[in-house]
Amino acid sequence: MYSLNLQRALIQIWAFVIKNWIMTRRNVFSFFEILFWPVVGFFSVGLLTHFLKLDPNMGGFILVGIISMSVIQVCQIDVAEALLYDLWAKSMKHIFIAPVHPFHLIMGSWLIGMIRSMVVFLLLSIFSYFSFGYNFFKPGFFPIVLFLLGLFLTSASVGITVCILILVFGYKAEVAAWSLSSLMSLICGIYYPISILPFPLPEIARLIPLTYFLEYFRSFYAFEGNLRNILLWGFVLAVGYLFLEALLFKVVLQRARRTGILLKLSE
Amino acid sequence: MSLAIEADKIFKTFKSGWRGRKKKEALRGVSLKVKKGEIFGILGPNGAGKTTLLSILSTLLLPDHGQVKIFGFDGIHNGHKIRELVNISSGNANFLWSMTVRENLNFYGMLYGLIKKDRLKKIDSLIELFELQEYRDVPFDQLSTGLKQRLSLAKSLLNDPSLLFLDEPTVGLDPDVSARIREMILSIHKERGITVLLTTHNMKEAEHLCERIAFLKAGKIIAIGSPQELKRMVRIGDVIKIEYNGLILEDQLLHAEGVINFSISDNICEMIVDDGEKRLGSIISMISKNGTFIKNVNIGQTDLEDVFIEFAKGSDSDMGLCD
Repeated sequence: MYSLNLQRALIQIWAFVIKNWIMTRRNVFSFFEILFWPVVGFFSVGLLTHFLKLDPNMGGFILVGIISMSVIQVCQIDVAEALLYDLWAKSMKHIFIAPVHPFHLIMGSWLIGMIRSMVVFLLLSIFSYFSFGYNFFKPGFFPIVLFLLGLFLTSASVGITVCILILVFGYKAEVAAWSLSSLMSLICGIYYPISILPFPLPEIARLIPLTYFLEYFRSFYAFEGNLRNILLWGFVLAVGYLFLEALLFKVVLQRARRTGILLKLSE
Repeated sequence: MSLAIEADKIFKTFKSGWRGRKKKEALRGVSLKVKKGEIFGILGPNGAGKTTLLSILSTLLLPDHGQVKIFGFDGIHNGHKIRELVNISSGNANFLWSMTVRENLNFYGMLYGLIKKDRLKKIDSLIELFELQEYRDVPFDQLSTGLKQRLSLAKSLLNDPSLLFLDEPTVGLDPDVSARIREMILSIHKERGITVLLTTHNMKEAEHLCERIAFLKAGKIIAIGSPQELKRMVRIGDVIKIEYNGLILEDQLLHAEGVINFSISDNICEMIVDDGEKRLGSIISMISKNGTFIKNVNIGQTDLEDVFIEFAKGSDSDMGLCD
């Protein structure tokens, strides 16, 4: 029975992987999301560091930021697309009349998001090495895995937030899919240390897991931040937020069944 | 009696505007029972609350008050269990635009946890059943409205539902396509014996498909019954038109059994009777007794549309016709 349920859950999760994969493959804008914007952004910032003749560590600091941002952007949009595609297709009710759990929906979309953003990471790291001489594989296998895992968890968190906002505000929340991660990058210090931010932003930054993961990876490029137990706090916060968001998603879905927004988004 | 649906005093109000100050009562104490294996229709004008009721019964929407039971499972607390047993197909079907017919069916089949071998077999059989073979690799946004509707019906059978919800299944379709869809619905029902609950404002469709019908108006059910029972309820009756030579005594017609109303002019007597076929014989013999020669007889049967108009123009209050 348990194995049957597990098999069933895996199929339901895989459904969302397949859906996002097919929709991505047939959508020219997805190409821009996965390749064009990250590559353009990366080279713009990379050339700027070159022009400003920044020392190698400072250049590495900034390039870590742009790569992290690209990874998060690509991965979180995939998680948000668990609902966004059905919002645009007005087919939301067909998802929620099926016996699927929010976990299936998020997990499936997150899986494909991790694969796509991994491609982005590898691509930008290779470009970085050959174009600007920065080696992002230098920290070694496990630090890279931990760093990427941190970014993926952060992305899942942002993507779920977008889904929650869609279930509460409908079409109006669509914009969150592109703006939330940008807002987060401003506070977490994508291009600068959080210590230069005015009060109370550094305190807010300490509540966001991305701040810790950035500082962890930058520590391999001679950057010394003020945060302690970086990885521990990063993962505790990331997992904690995911847990809270999972609960919130269930509550919001129940609310959507009460307010009728699932129907409105299917008309 | 084994029931598929039991709804008891369902109320639903939609709120909108600042702090939900604007309120619209969509359902006002709806109760109904649908037997297993029945095709049950919900008929009513636009805005009557048909889709709201169907959405509550299919667990897409939660009621404010009242109880819903689907195959004995509580609609509010056992939604997940119910979703295993039901499916929905709506008019103006919408699915993921880039995905082909087969990909859409595969995706929704996966949502029901069907394993690959069973899923592919099921998809092939549904593609064949709904004659979608030559469109299997066509993306959804390139399908005609009729094909989209067929895909929607195919999708709704992926999990072999015990209860199928059809929300205006032929809306916006050409008459010939609508007729074909209706035949498909009837054949699915006949072959699989599933319970079907459909909403429509097409009288002919309701009369053709449904064993029983509920009339919904302004969020209230004002009558439930078979098409024949509903016709009797509003007492519109059938029209018998008799062309004659001689005399018809009005007094006789006034007291004749089953005659609701009549008018006589220029040797034509037009009467409204409760059941044309049943009363015709006795009326003809009654008229003939007086030596009156009957030249021509015509029976016009009331259709459900007349019943609908009659109900729709009635007051909002209960007409005391619900069972």
